Amino acid sequence: MEGTLRILKRFIGSTMMISAFLLVFNFILLGVWIFNGMNKGDSPAAIVQNVAEGLHHSSNTYSVDNTTIKLLRESHAWAMLINDSGQVAWNYMLPDEIPKTYSLTEVAKFTQSYLKDYPVFVWEHAEGLVVVGFPKDSFAKYQYILPTNWVSSLPLRVVALLIINIGLALLLSLLIGYRLIRSVRPLAQGIQALGEDKEAFIEPKGILADLAQNVNSAAALLLEKNNSLKERDEARANWIAGISHDIRTPLSMVLGYASDLEENIDIPSEQRRQASIIRKQAEYLRSLVSDLNLVSMLEYEMQPLNIKQIRLSVLARQIASEFLNNELDERFKIEVKISDERIQVNGDERLLKRAIINLVQNSINHNPDGCVIILQTSFNESNRTCSFIVEDNGNGIPQNEIPNLLELPFSSKRKRPNHNGHGLGLPMVERITKAHQGYLILSSEIGKGLKAELVLPFNYVNC
Amino acid sequence: MADIKNKKLLIVDDEYELRNMVDGFLRKEGFGRIYQASSCAEALEVCHAVKPDLAILDVMLPDGDGFSLLSNLRQTSNMPVLFLTARGEDEDRLLGLGLGADDYIVKPFLPRELVLRLSSVLRRVYSPPKQEQRPVFQLGNYHIDFESGIVQNDNNQYHLTAKEHALLLKLYNNRNRIVTSDALCQAAWGDDYYGYENTLMVHIRRIREKIEANPSKPKYLLTIRGLGYKLMVKGEK
Repeated sequence: MEGTLRILKRFIGSTMMISAFLLVFNFILLGVWIFNGMNKGDSPAAIVQNVAEGLHHSSNTYSVDNTTIKLLRESHAWAMLINDSGQVAWNYMLPDEIPKTYSLTEVAKFTQSYLKDYPVFVWEHAEGLVVVGFPKDSFAKYQYILPTNWVSSLPLRVVALLIINIGLALLLSLLIGYRLIRSVRPLAQGIQALGEDKEAFIEPKGILADLAQNVNSAAALLLEKNNSLKERDEARANWIAGISHDIRTPLSMVLGYASDLEENIDIPSEQRRQASIIRKQAEYLRSLVSDLNLVSMLEYEMQPLNIKQIRLSVLARQIASEFLNNELDERFKIEVKISDERIQVNGDERLLKRAIINLVQNSINHNPDGCVIILQTSFNESNRTCSFIVEDNGNGIPQNEIPNLLELPFSSKRKRPNHNGHGLGLPMVERITKAHQGYLILSSEIGKGLKAELVLPFNYVNC
Repeated sequence: MADIKNKKLLIVDDEYELRNMVDGFLRKEGFGRIYQASSCAEALEVCHAVKPDLAILDVMLPDGDGFSLLSNLRQTSNMPVLFLTARGEDEDRLLGLGLGADDYIVKPFLPRELVLRLSSVLRRVYSPPKQEQRPVFQLGNYHIDFESGIVQNDNNQYHLTAKEHALLLKLYNNRNRIVTSDALCQAAWGDDYYGYENTLMVHIRRIREKIEANPSKPKYLLTIRGLGYKLMVKGEK
């Protein structure tokens, strides 16, 4: 909506600019082209002035400068001097039809208009009146007689005209712009929907029907691509699910017979130890397969979540107790720090537990010399999130390797192969957090331990 | 117990090797009457012929799935059924249990686990209903009888209140292991237990007064700071 308003504004702005430009351009054109030729050659007034100045009188004879003669000849004009008594005292190329004497009335008449259809112009001379006549039809003489109040109100009217023009241009551009926007709006909405990956269909009509058709076909193409991508994702997830399913039966047999051999007291202890190794590896394979399956299901958003309200403090105590009950090595210490008993999230208990156990197990696996592991809960009132933090004071990892840890192993984004473990642990934790509309923050420095923070949408227990 | 070992068991799985393995484990545990089937049709046939007392079903079978097989079996028999399957997803698990299976075991499994679960199902279904025997145990000089709810030492005899009984039983069932205060509250006050933490402390102190020589320096019922409590019972682990 804001977009269309902006378009309208800019449209009106540019329309006004164009109008102003046209106005200025027209004035210039008027000056250069229309009025050009109005004063072709020397103006009649200049010629008559020239004649008046070039006509000299000395002892009853008149002499004229050559330049004046030349000027008259070029203009095909004739000239005469009417003295104070109304007689033609001097002339040049005077046509025969022109009278030689003039009364005051006749002089007044021809000064206003024509003398025998010749356009004539007059100039004052010491001896009388110089009259220059030009060929018939060479000049049109007009007279302007204007009322003074008309002339004085002219600027005001010109300004009013300008304002009316501006207003009209504004109105017209608004109208045209509105109509344009109305036809553009469905298009804009359609394109916006495309950008937001929503379904878009625009009824193709009006001047932009072609464009609408194009947007529609782009939307259809995008939908098709999305669907095929989704299909492929689903196929991939199903493929992994299938493999992890198919592995289970043979793994059952490996695990079954190996643990049977391990417990068989008729077998030498060395062989029983080997059977035990086979069993442990089979168990590792089992956890690997189930992690792989879970990560792939989470990655393609196919993992159903069994959401219920979980208090983080309960989860922290439960997990710490489980580790302690399962004979955690003396080198490791687990501490629980609860900031607020009431912090609660909506989540899948099994998945969250799996994520946190994974983090704790990571700390144990990567710090063979022992460390203190702290399970901590906290909340952030301002952005309504709460955190479950698993922190250790162990070896830590270089800061620049952290982003790498969250990528799936063998994905193109993971720059280096993982050193130990199958590398699915942290990506799994991250994806579990994401599935809960949260995110995972890892921070670490060499020698300063690793801190993993699961930030989750926050939900206070109501009591 | 010999009774249980005498029960007729049916293993339905399309994988010959797996059937054989399970068969072997069960025979080793003393079960003698074991039948095998590799498909739904065969399973129904065996059921008709020998009327087994318990069936172990796979979900993926060549001529159908274990869930529909279970529904079929249920029309003629009420025998307990265990699923033993590679389908480990929650929905499958819930579907199987929802159809009335007595247990759901996901492959890969440890043979011991299978045998234990199977025995427990058989016991539950076929053992004559006995009054559940509540444990009686010795804690140093203290003799604790959950049946009567009485704690006795050389000089005194104390009665446990209902809450104390529930808490102590929970601790005893998880003896030598940490029980979180949440789990204890839940045992005593049910699912809606939030807010009972302080009450729990009071109850624990009262229990200590009954089972400890010096309640402020407990020897058996230990506080695990920040987590919960632990009942130390000697002689086991």
